[in-house]
Amino acid sequence: MGQAGFTSMHKVVTVEMEKDILAENRHLADHNRALLDEHGIKGFDFLGAIGSGKTLIIEKLVDRLKSKGKRAAAIAGDVSGDDDYQRFVSHGIPAANINTGKECHLDAHLVDHALDDLPLEDLDYLFIENVGNLVCPVDFPVGSHARVVVISVTEGDDMVRKHPAIFAFSDVIVINKVDLAQAMEVDPRILERDAKRINPGAKIIMMDARRGEGMDELVSALGL
Amino acid sequence: MHEFSVMSQMIEGIIEESKKWNATKVEEVILELGEFTMLGEEQLRFAYEVLTKDNILKGSKLTIVPVKGAIECDCGFKGDMSPSEDTPHRSVPILECPKCGNLARIVGGRECTVKNLRVVVPDV
Ligand SMILES: Nc1nc2c(ncn2[C@@H]2O[C@H](COP(=O)(O)OP(=O)(O)OP(=O)(O)O)[C@@H](O)[C@H]2O)c(=O)[nH]1
Ligand SMILES: [Mg+2]
Ligand SMILES: [Zn+2]
Ligand SMILES: [Zn+2]
Ligand SMILES: [Zn+2]
Repeated sequence: MGQAGFTSMHKVVTVEMEKDILAENRHLADHNRALLDEHGIKGFDFLGAIGSGKTLIIEKLVDRLKSKGKRAAAIAGDVSGDDDYQRFVSHGIPAANINTGKECHLDAHLVDHALDDLPLEDLDYLFIENVGNLVCPVDFPVGSHARVVVISVTEGDDMVRKHPAIFAFSDVIVINKVDLAQAMEVDPRILERDAKRINPGAKIIMMDARRGEGMDELVSALGL
Repeated sequence: MHEFSVMSQMIEGIIEESKKWNATKVEEVILELGEFTMLGEEQLRFAYEVLTKDNILKGSKLTIVPVKGAIECDCGFKGDMSPSEDTPHRSVPILECPKCGNLARIVGGRECTVKNLRVVVPDV
């Protein structure tokens, strides 16, 4: 009854697994987009640097849509807190708050849950504000129809070169706070040039969101 | 910045798979990593080390196979992008077709796929 030796009772085999973690998220994102399509909702997700003006731009868009009789909702993604959510609510639109906790980005699964909390039957447009981050959201599409990346001149003129991927994977690139360009001694045309080189197909918009400069261009780029 | 959560999801999947095969040990994990992902190889390896300390993957080898990014254009071009001079250490997806200069689409390089496992199973 002696042990026949460990090795002779075991063998090493190769198992095919073929499992793509990122593809699972992309699959869920497709599912979210299909849900929006079912309800005739156009979805936009806003990415960008921390404090670049994402919330303010969405607030302005929401007000414009309201004046046209269109119904919008917004999802606020933040690591913690409900500041952006409260700002959306103050515009009288349905909103959902997602706190990502440890994670530095929204993903399709979190957005899927937020969609449960919104009155999809009553909406024409949905804005999804991602966590302020120019790196991580690239790997995790959430299921929108178009992606907008917002940077501002206050982050310096090398922002695009430092985070090229996010610009390559976006449809509209907003260069915000151009009103501060002179004070910051930053030439927004450098940002524009870099963005154009990386993604020649993207719409690039110079904006001063406080005064509403560039908003018409954004509205038409998004087909609102 | 999310290498840890991606890796822990991955390892969960690997443990599940190895159970299906009644594996007693995982010897090697072969991972394909696209160059357009924001996942750093160093950070993935570190996460792997930490997350395999006390499970069936303990002591196993992580083999990362880099997958080049690829673009495709209406002119028929399909292949690598033109290399970018600015960033020698990181691939920048430049969506301009190197053949005709028009806008190209990204068709490869976004994967993070556990391709194969080498596992120890009972010999029956
Ligand atoms: N001068 C100037 N200030 C702006 C402009 N756009 C936004 N701001 C200000 O910048 C600050 C940040 O704006 P938010 O809209 O909160 O930026 P955000 O990108 O949503 O920030 P996070 O969600 O925290 O990442 C606010 O004080 C805005 O009023 C602009 O075009 N010009
Ligand atoms: Mg905000
Ligand atoms: Zn869930
Ligand atoms: Zn992340
Ligand atoms: Zn071409």
